[in-house]
Amino acid sequence: MKKRLSPYLTHEVWQVLFGGLLLLAGVLAERFGAPGPAVLAVFLVALAVAGYTVWLDAIKGILRRDLLDEKFLMTVASVGAFVIGSYAEGVAVMLFFLAGEYFEHQAVARSRKSIRALMDVRPDRAIRLSDGIEEEIDADDLSLGDTVVIRPGDRVPVDCAVLDGRALIDAASLTGESVPVEVGPGSALSSGTVCRNGRLIARVERVADESAASRVLSLVEDANEAKSRQENFITRFSRVYTPAVVLAALLMGIGVPLILLWTGHAPGWTDWLHRALTFLVVSCPCALVISVPLSFFGGIGGAASEGILFKGGNRMNALAHVKTVCCDKTGTLTEGKFEVRAITPAEGVERETLLSLAASAERNSTHPIAAAIRELAPAAPSPASVEERAGRGIVADVNGRRVLVGSKKLLAEEGVSMPDGAQGSVFVASNGQYLGSLTVGDAVREESRDTVARLRRHGVRRIGMLTGDTEENAKPVSDALSLDFVRASLLPDGKYKAVEDLIAERNGSVLYVGDGINDAPVIALADVGVAMGGVGSDAAIEAADLVIMSDKLDRLPKAIRIARRTVSIARQNIVFALAVKLAILILSATGINTSMWLAVFADVGVAVIAILNAMRALRVKRL
Amino acid sequence: MKTKFSVTGLDCPNCAAKLEGLIGKVKGIDSAKINFLSEKLTVESDLPAGDLLAAIREAAKAFPDKVTIDAL
Repeated sequence: MKKRLSPYLTHEVWQVLFGGLLLLAGVLAERFGAPGPAVLAVFLVALAVAGYTVWLDAIKGILRRDLLDEKFLMTVASVGAFVIGSYAEGVAVMLFFLAGEYFEHQAVARSRKSIRALMDVRPDRAIRLSDGIEEEIDADDLSLGDTVVIRPGDRVPVDCAVLDGRALIDAASLTGESVPVEVGPGSALSSGTVCRNGRLIARVERVADESAASRVLSLVEDANEAKSRQENFITRFSRVYTPAVVLAALLMGIGVPLILLWTGHAPGWTDWLHRALTFLVVSCPCALVISVPLSFFGGIGGAASEGILFKGGNRMNALAHVKTVCCDKTGTLTEGKFEVRAITPAEGVERETLLSLAASAERNSTHPIAAAIRELAPAAPSPASVEERAGRGIVADVNGRRVLVGSKKLLAEEGVSMPDGAQGSVFVASNGQYLGSLTVGDAVREESRDTVARLRRHGVRRIGMLTGDTEENAKPVSDALSLDFVRASLLPDGKYKAVEDLIAERNGSVLYVGDGINDAPVIALADVGVAMGGVGSDAAIEAADLVIMSDKLDRLPKAIRIARRTVSIARQNIVFALAVKLAILILSATGINTSMWLAVFADVGVAVIAILNAMRALRVKRL
Repeated sequence: MKTKFSVTGLDCPNCAAKLEGLIGKVKGIDSAKINFLSEKLTVESDLPAGDLLAAIREAAKAFPDKVTIDAL
């Protein structure tokens, strides 16, 4: 292997440079009337300088009986140009072809590099702590149950659980979520996240290969195997295109003159051959074949850097056409944490009395609603005794008062009379007297409203909620977000049925977002299944079309934007490149323009533009 | 069994598809897939690891010399 001065200064550059100078010399020599053989010699040397590497590859192509090899076709085109006396064009074809190849290689290498950099979340070193001694080892060498030390600035080497220490963890490279999270003993850490400050001691829960960062990488790598519609089109198209163009060139360059000769006309060999060679110049669909998958490669890689993992280009097509979005409520639209939303004391009762008594009664309860009530009256005294009534509530002795906290049913059973139409989730009474009610609900996430609005802007027609929660709890969330439909009190198979019905309506494709823990079948069923909250569950990843690493729904509109733009970039490239090729074919077949200069310039130009356009797909930050 | 290799030096996905076809035809290899952009070759075969790489390289000889295939 030769050592290179710079990755950009490959020998192709020298070939183009020297070939170009020789071409110029040849053109000048011709212009100033140098003798014919001298001019030919200069052009021949120019062709050899520019073309020798292509010729070598062409020979290999012939040896494997691949006569449609692009190198072989380019060789035929340039040599053909010499045969009909168009020396300068012959050299130009080779030079432009080489320059185009050089550019393509650089662009592809650059894209690969940026994606690798984006995906560089895999830590390779780790500090293992054994018997009080710290040693730096390969992250791959960690085993389950080992203890590791994570210092400020370190990347978490494997999935692990914090044993000791507190720190802020930055998961941006993995989840796209920029706000750091505070962790302490018991917290789970994902590999690839970064410890901002603080020193942590943690126990290894998964080996390196099974940890989050590795799973994300392999998911993204495999993603390129599920091809998009556009990629499949290009593959099928290129299989037909080259043979068709070459056949047309043969007919035109040899067939037509023979027919003319046969029918007693002047054959016009030079003119027809010229047209045929121009065909060969645009016979390679390579730029197109690169630019389309390159768009998806970029789009998928860019999305991954935002914590959005597409399982393939085809999933981008599907996501771009989503018309209905169904969300699971808990944890996607809401915080998954209860809070007291309204306090309604009965007439003549103090707010504080109501709260304090309710909080005392709920003091030792593990129910999530109890926690929400306690939060508002942390100083409430402990009850002397507590009796739980399953499904109804609590009867407690607080400072000698008999306090009831629970459903209307509980109060009715205990003979407490309530005003008609009392509203709330929990009702409170003391010594037989009604004190009032508390309304407890799951808090709607701050960003949910904005997310819903953005989804609508992106052309989603219906947004709804499928939840196992009761109608009473679901309704306020749905109202707050003005959703289009709510199905409450659904068991997991009920969600399945609901999505099945939505799909059966054939009203555009249906997307379902869930946490993937117990709704994997629903995720698999939906036209687009989205698993939120990372790569934790195998079943969810298997079933999902899209995995969102964070547990925030605001990634969803972003995912749609990325998918839409990627698909549209791929389409632009197909239309633009095909239009230019077709134009050249028509111009040269009709004899309006048979200049190989123009053909090769347009063909390489469109390739460069298509590739630059494709590289745009990688930039998703501002979408 | 599925094995992955690195493939570098290919010019375009077209050439990748051709190489893929050639490797897929090798005796003892059930299927071959090249991902041009991530530069990975995935082969399904029951050949022993050493023979497999040699067989793949033999098939790739028909391609320009800059095309190299290595174990990951």
